[in-house]
Amino acid sequence: MTAAPAGSGTADLAIAMRSITKRFPGVVALDGVSLDVRRGELHAICGENGAGKSTLMKILSGVYRPDAGALEIHGQPVRFTGTRDAERAGVAIIHQELNLVEDLSVAANVFLGRERRTALGLVDDRAMETETARLLEMLECRVAPRTRAGSLRVGDQQLVEIAKALSLDASILVMDEPTSALTEAESARLERTVCRLRDRGTTILYISHKMDEVFRLADRITVLRDGRHVRTVDRGATTPKEVTCWMVGREIAGQVFHEPRPHGDTLLEIHRLTLPWPEHPRGYRLADVSLDLHAGEIVGVAGLMGAGRTELLETIFGVSPPTWAGEILLAGRPVRFTHPREACDAGIAMVTEDRKRLGLFPDLDVAGNISLCSLHEALRGGLLSRSREEALVAGPLRDTGVKTPSPHASIMGLSGGNQQKCVIGRWLLTEPRILLLDDPTRGIDVGAKAELYQLIDRLCRQGMAVLLTSSELPELLTLSDRILVLAEGRLTAEFTRAEATEHRILEAATGS
Amino acid sequence: MAAADSPTPGGFLLNRSEWALLGAIVVAVVLTALVDANHSYWFQPLASLRDIARSTAMLGIFALGAAVVIIAGGIDLSAGSMIALSTTVCAATMLALAPTEMVGFKPVGGAVVAAGCLASLLAGFLVGTLHTWLITAVRLPPFIATLATLVGLRSLARALATSTTAALLPTKNSQINVYDPAFKFVRDNVWIPVAVFGLLAFVTWLLLTRTVLGRHVHALGGNEQAARLAGIRTDNVKWFAYCYGAMTAALAGLFYVANESVAAPAIQARGHELNAIAAAVVGGCSLAGGVGTVPGTVLGTVFLRVVIDAVAKVIKTEAEIYEGLIVGVVVVLAVTFSQVGQFAKGGRRIFPGLLGLCAVPVLALLVGSVVAMTAGPRAGIAAGLATLALLAAVRFWEGRQTAAARPV
Repeated sequence: MTAAPAGSGTADLAIAMRSITKRFPGVVALDGVSLDVRRGELHAICGENGAGKSTLMKILSGVYRPDAGALEIHGQPVRFTGTRDAERAGVAIIHQELNLVEDLSVAANVFLGRERRTALGLVDDRAMETETARLLEMLECRVAPRTRAGSLRVGDQQLVEIAKALSLDASILVMDEPTSALTEAESARLERTVCRLRDRGTTILYISHKMDEVFRLADRITVLRDGRHVRTVDRGATTPKEVTCWMVGREIAGQVFHEPRPHGDTLLEIHRLTLPWPEHPRGYRLADVSLDLHAGEIVGVAGLMGAGRTELLETIFGVSPPTWAGEILLAGRPVRFTHPREACDAGIAMVTEDRKRLGLFPDLDVAGNISLCSLHEALRGGLLSRSREEALVAGPLRDTGVKTPSPHASIMGLSGGNQQKCVIGRWLLTEPRILLLDDPTRGIDVGAKAELYQLIDRLCRQGMAVLLTSSELPELLTLSDRILVLAEGRLTAEFTRAEATEHRILEAATGS
Repeated sequence: MAAADSPTPGGFLLNRSEWALLGAIVVAVVLTALVDANHSYWFQPLASLRDIARSTAMLGIFALGAAVVIIAGGIDLSAGSMIALSTTVCAATMLALAPTEMVGFKPVGGAVVAAGCLASLLAGFLVGTLHTWLITAVRLPPFIATLATLVGLRSLARALATSTTAALLPTKNSQINVYDPAFKFVRDNVWIPVAVFGLLAFVTWLLLTRTVLGRHVHALGGNEQAARLAGIRTDNVKWFAYCYGAMTAALAGLFYVANESVAAPAIQARGHELNAIAAAVVGGCSLAGGVGTVPGTVLGTVFLRVVIDAVAKVIKTEAEIYEGLIVGVVVVLAVTFSQVGQFAKGGRRIFPGLLGLCAVPVLALLVGSVVAMTAGPRAGIAAGLATLALLAAVRFWEGRQTAAARPV
């Protein structure tokens, strides 16, 4: 651990975190993390999804309050109760999801909430625009301050966020995976900007899992894993390989389904699928993706955020209008779904990634949430029958092991794991041949995860074909027969279960 | 049955807030009976009941449609204008089919009446289809789409009345008189609109709670994206909801024709769409969608009409001036009471900060001025001061609570 001896030279530290702990229901996001950041250094934070990087940054910027531990900024103990407090202390954060008001001008965004005024008390647009222009020029950003923020490309929007941070005179700048949505040229420009800021004396915390970037920029590197601090090292004292090892180097917990599952016929084939993305410089969300899926097989799709995992499943399921090129064959027959209804009728089910937003019906009870796709089986004389519906949902409730006080309890009163089991149960009632699971265990505690793994394994042994994405590599390694890796919309690797390791997958996903 | 039956916990047949609403109706009736100087509830119970039953049924018929649209997560602002269009289409159709009888105040015959009514309902279906197309294909927000038809349909109805009369009668007219005995019969028999309202309420209840389509309406209103991803053809469900809304308004329009013996598109049912939405909201429908019941909507309609009637009994002269004020106050109070739990838990304040400080005299002024205009200046000043004192006490108490809850 790097915790400096108490009282020794904390004044040299821009940030000192002492045993920060943060718990969420069912999850310990941060477990006694201590971290020192020296004044004026560029400090990279590395870790897998779920390692606690973003939680740590949100504590630093006042979004969350830690359950335990202390935070010092420039040697002063602080207790932030909101982002305003953090800004006042000189900490600015650039989130992964940008926070611009799209309909306001660039200058108005930079000064949002701190508008400059003239002597008459009116908004002084000219002063703000002049200042914004100065900041943007420094950032090599050729954007007029009066441009509508929503019309900018992501790379420029990010620079506007940085300009906002600069206008705050922030002495500490936190950047959460800033290049994840950028092109090569934009990334290079951002790197130059970051270097220039560091030369001016700004302390920068840089979160990334792109090894090349980290090793080009950082003075020191901290690795987090499962909410714990693994180590902090000087850049010169380590190698990208070593850091990657630290990031994934945990024992893979729990079960592995060693018994090989028998595979059946090919149910799904995809040939050279390309999904255009007109408003993005990359031009495509998916390019030339080919895969096949057999009955009784689980194929895992790995990839970083924005790699196109969700888009792949949504394209198969017919969620958006079919603008894609290529070929999707379902049991040998070409299909082109325009509505999820058609995919359901063809025997495909999809459990969506964002349970609250895309999966649950908060105003329907547990039974209503499960029976929704198969209501015709709960009819008696053309009308819904309460007893038939209860009988209908009893099966999935038992099979998926949902713990609910009653089929008529509120779905929102259940835990995340039980809610997810309800959503899976809904689809099992439709008796699908192909099950698409988009990050099915996100935000679910460890025990419920294990139960879901067993459920998925069991379904697969009954002959269902499963296409699974996950932001957690151990999950893919536990469940999948094969693992495909997406990086920026392209397939970069395919591993069998025997070949796959976290390390190799991560290398293929980051392109390092 | 899913949550469709009981969105809030507890209660036999009705949920807790619906029982509360029923209680409020009883209280309002009893208070009116006591306060009314003419004691018309005592001396003319049948006449009073008839008045309230008629007005409740007329509003309730299209309030049910408004409720279906709201539960489906939409809003239909155009019901009042749809009623005007319905009355005009009905009258214009009859005028076209039987011009001499219409002019000569003679019976036009059952077939013609039926044609007029069917034409009105068809117009409702067409308007509902237009709304759905605007919302799903053109992607207008429901508020905008039905705001356009709120303005547009009434104008269309007026043009239709004028041009039909110009073409078929010696002089053009902005309204069409309807004297057929079938309509007179409906006007003189209050049980007809009440029976239609009751039947429609039953059908709507059955539809929302006991059919697949009804469950899909709830799902659509609760989470539209999830509904689509669950394979529900959400556009078709919307089509049903908006057609139901417009067609119930068209049906209500037929009773307006009967009641007033005229299709007068310039003034008929003007602003009534807001009463229907208010009835649904008072009855527990959430404008966020997914939540609401038929019994709640029926009780909301009854409550609204009973309170309006009560004020009319108490004020007597020019009571209709205050109708809007009553509807507004009832809506605010009903929705506020449904949130009382949150205030009681201490998480929220009803008079926070400077805004709360300013809200206290605003409310006192409002109460004082209304009382002054209805019961004289002295009573007004007294009521205003009393409100001021009461609300100031509430705010003071709230401030103390918050200060006590703050960690030291």
